[in-house]
Amino acid sequence: MPLSIETTDLGKSYGAVRAVEHLSLRVAEGEIYAFLGLNGAGKTTTIRMLLGMIKPTTGHATVLGTRVRLGSRQPWSEVGYLVEIPHSYPELTVRENLEVARRLHPGTEPAAVDRIIERLGLAAYADRRSGQLSQGNAQRLGLARSLLHNPRLLFLDEPANGLDPAGIVEIRELLLELTRQRGVTVFMSSHILAEVARLAGRVGIIHEGRLLRELNIDELERERRRRLVLRVRDTGAARQALLGAGQPVQVLPDGALELANASSIERPDEINRLLAQAAVPPVYLAVEEEDLEQYFLRLVGMDGAGGEALR
Amino acid sequence: MNDLRNLLWIEQRKALRSRMVLWTLLASMLAPFGVGFLIWVSKNPEISQKLGLVGAKANLVALAGVDWASYASLFGQVIGAGGFFLAIFVISWLFGREFSDGTLKDLLAVPVPRSLILLAKFIVMAVWSALLTLAIFAAGMLVGVLLKLPGGTLNALLHGAAITAAAGLMVILVVMPFALFASMGRGYLLPIALALVALLFANLVLVLGRGEFYPWAIPMIYAEGKTPLPPASYVIVLLTGLLGWFATDYWWHHADQSR
Repeated sequence: MPLSIETTDLGKSYGAVRAVEHLSLRVAEGEIYAFLGLNGAGKTTTIRMLLGMIKPTTGHATVLGTRVRLGSRQPWSEVGYLVEIPHSYPELTVRENLEVARRLHPGTEPAAVDRIIERLGLAAYADRRSGQLSQGNAQRLGLARSLLHNPRLLFLDEPANGLDPAGIVEIRELLLELTRQRGVTVFMSSHILAEVARLAGRVGIIHEGRLLRELNIDELERERRRRLVLRVRDTGAARQALLGAGQPVQVLPDGALELANASSIERPDEINRLLAQAAVPPVYLAVEEEDLEQYFLRLVGMDGAGGEALR
Repeated sequence: MNDLRNLLWIEQRKALRSRMVLWTLLASMLAPFGVGFLIWVSKNPEISQKLGLVGAKANLVALAGVDWASYASLFGQVIGAGGFFLAIFVISWLFGREFSDGTLKDLLAVPVPRSLILLAKFIVMAVWSALLTLAIFAAGMLVGVLLKLPGGTLNALLHGAAITAAAGLMVILVVMPFALFASMGRGYLLPIALALVALLFANLVLVLGRGEFYPWAIPMIYAEGKTPLPPASYVIVLLTGLLGWFATDYWWHHADQSR
């Protein structure tokens, strides 16, 4: 499959500080790739390097088949982007700001401005000065600017920022439609895991400048830890019964029992039977899945348990 | 050519929509009306006494003898000093605002050359500064008519206009390096601070009698017309402009942009 983005050993240092290092990414055409990381992990630095705004100290990047160089004209006619906070000229109206963007992309027809205003739901604000827009509408203007010239590749840095829940759904549907119907590639950064899970096909997890993992969204689902959680009236007796049956069990701080071994997760009915026979039937029994936040924190070693080496 | 036309449209729209054009125009009017007021007071000593301007009496007496020839040439000096600061504001705003408003990033990964974006900004700066020069001179001449100055000939007017225009052109050239300072300082503060330093130094080199080799003193010396400038002075002014342009261009192509 042709690649939209390819980086080889990409790195950026500021003196002794390594903002990004040894980053080798491959983003296929038409996919939604989410770049996941905490604040300061190196997401924006990476996007700026991919857009030719920051010169890498090591390695190089290729975008839409063109080697990225600082200050070059290529390949930007087919690239749209929204980096960090969307700023616009506050004294110009929404329409004028988009007209500025149109003129910065020669060949974009004048009608594109009104089309994108309509598409992003900005019609009511088209003649309002952009300095007076709410954060959500400023974000919409930023997205409109990035989409105005029908790019083949979109870089979106935290696209859901400032949007209300309805806006988030709307933008998600728009991005899905762009990828499905027009084959647009989306490279988005985010720290909102649930949003990423609904949208992206592939996820790259970056922490302290390094790519920790790259995985498909179904792999991510599989990697999330599962456990069987039980509540009983007599914790001590239940624990004894389980240990006696060879089931490794842990007592959680709130008095619940946790079993993490595969056999108990796959056969919770067996555990139920065992406890019923020991006269301590469970009052609560559930297979719980680690949520994305917990998974992410475990991966980057910030779950309080020292994390897990997954490099 | 089409790209440049688009970029010029963008720059003029941003300038006209902001209130900067109006503010710089209002600020520029301080000079002709200020000078006119002083001449009017000097011609009417009873008013200067009423206003308590006794301390300034000696200077005012000198102004009382102003005729059209000296009055029209005075505007070259106004441009050399006051016009310099106005042009600094114009160039600092045109370049610095992209950094302080966070709009720079939307000019960077676009399919038009950065050099052309800069050229459009320099052209708008030059036109804007030239229009301010014209406005100052035109208002000055109107004030001259109202003051009924003696010795009004077409020659005197044309001579004054030529000096003002040449001083205006020199100012446009010597402020060009401040586009680089606005870019490096990522806002307005650095170019304005450095302009003050440049003027302080100008006073120093003028005292030392070497002003003709210092780019930010040359327009003032030229406009005063007391000492003829060597050809090197004109070359220095031209080189300052070119150097400012090329250095800004180089910086925009090679510096990391993380804002």
